[in-house]
Amino acid sequence: MTTETHWHVAPGDLPAIPASEQNASSGFLVYTIGLLLAVILTVTSFWVANTSVIWAPGVPAGLAVLAIAQMGVHLVFFLHITTGPDSTNNVLALAFGVLIVFLVLGGSLVIMANLNENMMPHTEMMNLQIER
Amino acid sequence: MTLLGKLDWSAVPLDQPIIMGTVGGMVVAIVSILSWVTLKGYVPYLWREWITSVDHKRIGVMYIVLALVMLLRGFADGIMMRTQQAVAAGGAQGYLPPEHFDQIFSAHGTIMIFFVAMPLVIGLMNFAVPLQLGVRDVAFPTMNSISFWLTASGVLLTNVSLAVGEFAKTGWFAYPPLSELQFSPGVGVDYYLWSLQLSGIGTLLSGVNFVTTILKMRAPGMSYMRMPVFCWTALASNLLIVAAFPVLTALFAMLLLDRYLGFHFFTVDAGGNAMMYVNLFWVWGHPEVYILVLPAFGIFSEVAATFSGKSLFGYRSMVLATMTICVLSYTVWLHHFFTMGASASVNAFFGITSMIIGVPTGVKVFNWLFTMYGGRVRFTVPVLWTIGFMMSFVFGGLTGVLLALPAVDWQVHNSVFLVAHFHHVIIPGVLFGCMAGYNYWFPKAFGFRLDERWGKAAFWCWFIGFHLAFMPLYVTGLMGMPRRLQHYDVLAWQPWLLVAEVGALVILTGIICQIVQIVVSIRHREQLRDTTGDPWNGRTLEWSTASPPPAWNFAVLPRVHELDAFWAHKQRVLAKQRLPVRQHAYQPIEVPKNSPVGFATAFFAVVSGFALIWHIWWMAGFGVLGAAATLLAFMFRTKDEVEIPADQVDLFDRAHPVEVSL
Ligand code: HEM
Ligand SMILES: [Cu+2]
Repeated sequence: MTTETHWHVAPGDLPAIPASEQNASSGFLVYTIGLLLAVILTVTSFWVANTSVIWAPGVPAGLAVLAIAQMGVHLVFFLHITTGPDSTNNVLALAFGVLIVFLVLGGSLVIMANLNENMMPHTEMMNLQIER
Repeated sequence: MTLLGKLDWSAVPLDQPIIMGTVGGMVVAIVSILSWVTLKGYVPYLWREWITSVDHKRIGVMYIVLALVMLLRGFADGIMMRTQQAVAAGGAQGYLPPEHFDQIFSAHGTIMIFFVAMPLVIGLMNFAVPLQLGVRDVAFPTMNSISFWLTASGVLLTNVSLAVGEFAKTGWFAYPPLSELQFSPGVGVDYYLWSLQLSGIGTLLSGVNFVTTILKMRAPGMSYMRMPVFCWTALASNLLIVAAFPVLTALFAMLLLDRYLGFHFFTVDAGGNAMMYVNLFWVWGHPEVYILVLPAFGIFSEVAATFSGKSLFGYRSMVLATMTICVLSYTVWLHHFFTMGASASVNAFFGITSMIIGVPTGVKVFNWLFTMYGGRVRFTVPVLWTIGFMMSFVFGGLTGVLLALPAVDWQVHNSVFLVAHFHHVIIPGVLFGCMAGYNYWFPKAFGFRLDERWGKAAFWCWFIGFHLAFMPLYVTGLMGMPRRLQHYDVLAWQPWLLVAEVGALVILTGIICQIVQIVVSIRHREQLRDTTGDPWNGRTLEWSTASPPPAWNFAVLPRVHELDAFWAHKQRVLAKQRLPVRQHAYQPIEVPKNSPVGFATAFFAVVSGFALIWHIWWMAGFGVLGAAATLLAFMFRTKDEVEIPADQVDLFDRAHPVEVSL
């Protein structure tokens, strides 16, 4: 059987991956680095929101970049999304989540914008009322 | 501020004979059951073996019992509405006043979706998925118990609304602005919101639990493409739960903020936008229908394969179709509000996606047909439900494709044509599926089969009654009858609604047959006993252990080498003409320890839910603190497993010899 190795740890079973390898991304150091990065990103975003050093319309963009970086930090350092072999499930789940968020947010924005547009009183009609 | 918030004696509708009669009946029933249990001395047993149990099989059974009890309530609401509509034509006003009728259709919809269909599906998954995967429990057993008890809390609050206060009059989706404080100042909408918030959290936790279990805890050798189809559909359904239920929770939280703290998310004034509620509700709502129906599809697949004595036709296409539906179900939600003012192009886009999602479902139907084609089909009760499903569901699905055409939807939107359509998919799809699963796995759960004759009678009553009750609604819908009518003037509708009433009575007969079926089966359990653990000549791992399975499910975890592992194993044994030598090297097994945490959390959840509904703030604080303290205490536990000694496992295995052990 070639696929004999394709299984995950079941209760009562020995772990499939040796403990030493498992620890690759969950040590104390990793969490500390993650925490530091997360704090730095948080503090920076407060600074960005209040500063006048940056061109004002650029602030939202800056905040968005920082937020996305923050997500990345959380995923890598706290949720251990890596490219390792045991992480296929996690990566797939993440991809699914991102896809759904994209569909839901994107869809809602399109739908709501479209509804708003259609609900606006048409300019000709407004004119009609004024002319009368 | 008074000590009891808005609560006083006027909350109990003493002047309403129908409500008071029902409440009286329910109180008598509950009190007599409780005192019977206490007098017989069953309380310690129930507490030890069921209420605090974290065993997925027990939790599954409790979910199903809960759902079946609520089916009675939901059906009572349904037949009350049918009776009202059968008589309240022209000059006659019927027996239900409008404000009561409004609560009934809202409660019926809410109960049927959240407290019948959901717990049935989740209960069956709880029972069968770990067994099919060949493992000993779900990933987080105690969380599983919390999930169940939170669902039960929602059920309890909904039922309390009958006696104390009122239920929502807003329909089962509580659209604002009607559901806002301005137009629904009573506690009805609050009952709706808090019940669903509690049970929603429970459902989300279940979703997390099952996704983890299926992805991480399969028997040795069970790669993805060797998983039974029911596990695949359970995976898809739970992925949808994890992605969809937070939307519902956030949505209800926003409506609660509007109602309690004067926010303006969905109000008419101050920049609120009620359309956003509608949009987000169906972002959850459409995936929800697939959360319900995908596991039912899984059950039909298992039943079709088992009772045709063949492997499932097109396993890979089945998996692919399931996962395609899982993703596509997030691309169609606008079809629930075609008429709300989107432009033609947006409507057309969602209309087309809605038609496309029918394709994978069609693939599945053909797979089931080809599975049965050429097989030696045994016409047992689960098979009858399956065939009944295939015949009706295809038509219900086709009326759905009709409704996916925006132009058609504009004509029949909010008519009883729609009511006919969604009952036509949800009853043959979800309910028939769960009935098939219930008859199919019952012997596994309790060690004896359900009576066939009463089971068949129940099926035929449901099947015929369903068509009598809902086909007429297509007709009156096309004649222009709107949904949710307490009274109407068009006498031409009445004959059709009388037929529908007869249909509901036939369904009632079916339900009675099911009750009789249980009683008769328990009486005759010795004749119906399943000693082999494999009463149907099954194909998947749940049939390889004893019926009912021990707390540890499998003495030795099965090794899986192919799809339909148990079937293949039986074939090998037959070919060799001898039973494999039993290995006697049993090892002690750790099983999760019982825990009252689920029950306690739910108790506090009910307290705070009730308090929040009635604005009794001190009590709400008490409930929240209590729940938090319970969870905290649980986190500091020192022991969460008990060890079953090897000789006990050995003893059980010798007392329950299964036909072939893996
Ligand atoms: C078992 C027999 C059933 C009967 C006799 C029945 C009857 C009815 C009736 C008369 C209505 C009101 C139609 C109207 O608006 O004019 C209704 C609505 C509804 N039913 Fe059922 N029903 C049954 C089963 C179910 C099941 C199994 C489900 C779901 C799992 C369900 C879900 C709903 C929903 C969501 C509504 C809409 C409620 C609303 O308008 O807000 N029903 N049903
Ligand atoms: Cu839909």
